[in-house]
Amino acid sequence: MIHTLRQVFRSGKFVTGFVIFVSLLLIVLIYPLLVPDDPLAIIGLGTFFPPGIYVNVYDSVNVSPYTLNLPDATTKRIADKLGPKERQDMKEFLLAAGIPEEEIDIEDTAKLLDLWEKNYDPNKNIEGMTLAKMRYYQRLNNSLKGLLATEGLIVALPNAQTGQLEQVKVIEQSDYANINEVPNVRVLPLGTDNFGRDVLTELVKAAGVSLQIGFVAGLIATLIGLVLGLLAGYLGGMVDDIIMFFTNLLIVIPSFVLLILISFSIGQDKRGAITIATVIGFTSWVWTARAVRAQVLSLRNRDHVNLSRLSGHSTVYIILNDILPYIMSYVVMALILQISSGILAEAGLSILGLGPRTTEVPTLGLMMNWAMIYQAHVLGKWWAYLPVLVTIALITFSMNLMNTGLDQVFNPALRE
Amino acid sequence: MKRLTWFLSALLMLSMLLASCAPAATPTAAPAEPTAAPTQAPQEEPTKAPEVQPTKELSAAEIAAALPRKETLYFNGQQWGPVVCWNPYSSSCNNAMAISQGDNARVTMFETPYLYNMLDGKQYPLLADGPWSWNDAMTEITFKIKPAARWSDGTPVTAEDVAYTWYAHVKYNTSTGASNKDYIEAIEAVDPQTVVIKAKLDADGKAVNPLIVAAYVSSNYVLQKAWTQKLEERTGGDPAKFLTDPAEDVVYSGPYHKFYTDETKVVLVRDDNYWGKDPSMWGKLPAPKYLAHVIFKDNAAGTTALKAGEVDVSQQFNSNVQDLWLKDGLPISTYLPEPPYNIGASLPTAFYNLRSYGLDQVAVRKAIAIAVDYDTIVANAMTNQSATFKQVPRSLMNPTPGEQALYDREAVKSLQWEGNDIEGAKKLLDEAGIVDTDGDGWREYNGKKLQYVATCPNGWSDWQAAIEVVAAAGKKIGIDITTNYPEWSVYQTVVTNWPLPETGYDIFMMWSAGAGPTMPWGRIRNLLSSEFAETTNNWTGNWGGYKNPEVDELIKKIPTMTDQEEIKKAYTRLVEIYLTDVPSFTLMYRPQSFHTVYEGVWTNFPHQGDGTNPPVPPLNLTDGWSIAGLYNLKLVNP
Repeated sequence: MIHTLRQVFRSGKFVTGFVIFVSLLLIVLIYPLLVPDDPLAIIGLGTFFPPGIYVNVYDSVNVSPYTLNLPDATTKRIADKLGPKERQDMKEFLLAAGIPEEEIDIEDTAKLLDLWEKNYDPNKNIEGMTLAKMRYYQRLNNSLKGLLATEGLIVALPNAQTGQLEQVKVIEQSDYANINEVPNVRVLPLGTDNFGRDVLTELVKAAGVSLQIGFVAGLIATLIGLVLGLLAGYLGGMVDDIIMFFTNLLIVIPSFVLLILISFSIGQDKRGAITIATVIGFTSWVWTARAVRAQVLSLRNRDHVNLSRLSGHSTVYIILNDILPYIMSYVVMALILQISSGILAEAGLSILGLGPRTTEVPTLGLMMNWAMIYQAHVLGKWWAYLPVLVTIALITFSMNLMNTGLDQVFNPALRE
Repeated sequence: MKRLTWFLSALLMLSMLLASCAPAATPTAAPAEPTAAPTQAPQEEPTKAPEVQPTKELSAAEIAAALPRKETLYFNGQQWGPVVCWNPYSSSCNNAMAISQGDNARVTMFETPYLYNMLDGKQYPLLADGPWSWNDAMTEITFKIKPAARWSDGTPVTAEDVAYTWYAHVKYNTSTGASNKDYIEAIEAVDPQTVVIKAKLDADGKAVNPLIVAAYVSSNYVLQKAWTQKLEERTGGDPAKFLTDPAEDVVYSGPYHKFYTDETKVVLVRDDNYWGKDPSMWGKLPAPKYLAHVIFKDNAAGTTALKAGEVDVSQQFNSNVQDLWLKDGLPISTYLPEPPYNIGASLPTAFYNLRSYGLDQVAVRKAIAIAVDYDTIVANAMTNQSATFKQVPRSLMNPTPGEQALYDREAVKSLQWEGNDIEGAKKLLDEAGIVDTDGDGWREYNGKKLQYVATCPNGWSDWQAAIEVVAAAGKKIGIDITTNYPEWSVYQTVVTNWPLPETGYDIFMMWSAGAGPTMPWGRIRNLLSSEFAETTNNWTGNWGGYKNPEVDELIKKIPTMTDQEEIKKAYTRLVEIYLTDVPSFTLMYRPQSFHTVYEGVWTNFPHQGDGTNPPVPPLNLTDGWSIAGLYNLKLVNP
């Protein structure tokens, strides 16, 4: 046993796959301990907040500021609102408003803004200008207000008695808050999804659920396939004929079609994650059964099996002790493949809207489904679907790598 | 071998020719040719045939395949699935670009006497000449037909046509006939220009419902008598055949008609002889020559096309619509520059199945309703394309100022809720004795766990997300709500046919009426009137089976009331009952139509403050008075 394990862990492919898989598993297990939030909690009012560090504005106004005199602060502040494109657009408007070109200097911010202030009129109807463009200039105009101001912003509170605003404090342009001192900072490494949920927290939970689904589906499929394969192969005759009849029957029907039909007929209100896993398990055992049967057929007339039979051992004993150990490596490999295909099947089903019902647990497929419903792929909100895709790919990739590694160890034909 | 190749290629070409004839059978322009082609072809040299024939026959299809961009206005979000027929009497033509009768009737191909304008609530004459008028007893409406109005075959539109259209609606029990015959006694032609609509009278000799009679003139098409008679002759008086006739030969009065349709698109073409260019109506033709609608698979496909500039007028939910101009810098805009971007007109509503276990209890209904986080629905499900309930408190009115003024906001203030009131909901349930007795975390009513399924059609993304939020609210107050999304084909048959199944449809979403001449009365009737409770084939409302005699009484009385104070009092009472009984609850405000326009080709679309008088409503330039917008369009680069 130890020897086999040592052999297995000497395979580079297996080790790579194993490391990826175990790290994923560790993340799934450890992350919830560090971030104990409800993965389905809606925290964002709005859809698809981009990844980043979210600092509470109210709190950062209230922390005592540090004064930093950074040379390019003003330039950056202006460039944020007034980039080269905006300057060019302003020039276009001014030209259309009848200002001669030589008077417009888009490099001189103060002059440009001055000219703009004098000539921009939001209600002016310029011939040939579309509504979209007019609204663009209105937005631009609003964003330019107070751009060159040097004084600070005043924070004020209404007086409880008089209702008049009273100055609380002034925020200078050179005030900085140390992020470590702001009490409310939330890091959203992968932003939020269409419901305003933290994508990373949801993704970790979903990966866990999908792994569970994969394990359950894989175990069920392998178990059914193994039992039927053993029985058919070892007993032969009538039993073999009957089992193979059903197996062949199921082979002709594409299992995904079967999966869709069963999921659909169960009805969404009864489709929990484990139900889906069971359904996947019950529709994907056929190839395992056939392969196990083929292996058993070649094993059952070996000398040690015949000897065991002559010694009067029962069928169950022989199957368990004289046959099973010889195909165990194959079964483990089949199990790994079944798990990864179970995860893929769930993702496929959920994308079609036939996965587990929502609101209870996230799964990788459901996350993809909602990202697609809310057009994340059209709107370029990559963080809502790309990490999910990468996770699915990593899980299946690591399992397939482990499988190939095992194959190289156990399959004499592939041994180097 | 050479001969064989020649023979095979000839055969191939012949089959291509035959195949190419199939779509060509639809264009009305060439009715005789498709039958002639197959018989002709074999006699001619097969190599020659394909070169000559298709160019002649496929003209409509070929033009439709590459419409001149500067003459075409593209739509999305109206037509889903291929067109079935062109029969304006039928309600199952699936022909959204041409046939859609209702409060804001679509008047591209067929026309109504008046055009309703949802922005000012007035009806403007189209086929009619001048405003309509009641007689003194308010039992008859009289209006005249414009002398200039013409059918597509050149004959004048007369009062006879209006009267006969009504006659046919009643005779064949169309949906128009069925929904109006309890309120309209007869429509008669006094002379060729003058139409009289006689209201059905109640025992006191007053009109049963003057609102519906008055709404008729802007909601229903006028169809040609001669053509209707032709259709009757063809179908031999059989109502089923009458309603399912494809009506390819239909005579119309509108500015557009069928040009080409297949599974991928619908194209209407302008009738350059349209009567409306007469100075007594528009005085000119509408700007686009073609109105085209590519049939998209789903909203995502529609949005992609909009972003690519392949759609000019988008009547669909584009999530985060502001990103299109803020982030992508595209020349796209909506009616309003800021959220909610459009004018809310209807109230998508979650209905309770009042026969579900525990949902007959007001406490349960109200608890769920006040626990729902509406701000999240508005911000996340609707991506802020709805007013919030803080801005427009819930009532039975839509957010337009006209309707909001019809009830006393202060009087019902104590009954209002803004949502996400978890503690309040818990308290309400505790006080009603609906508590968790067995410690499983879920509340029981009389010992039975409260367990519901919230549902809406699959793929209706904003509704689905809203339903998710409703389910989440249930979890927070100890009521087990799960979600389910059946396909629309299943959903619609279940929801519109009482009784609802025992499980699976405890809380379900449906729409409410939008803006129209009978609103808000019509919407309130749809939501609350017991005449729709527990009925089958119910496409109107009150799907949850709510019954309240006081409500019925008020709904019956309001149309005959004339005193504004009295009307306001009645509406306020209705809102009060609605907020107390909570037979259903509004989840968001939704525009009558989404109206997102692309200004890469066309410009001068209706928008807030566009200076039009009367204002052109944002209804895709096809519905009611919004068609006036088609005459204002200009090319960006002529």
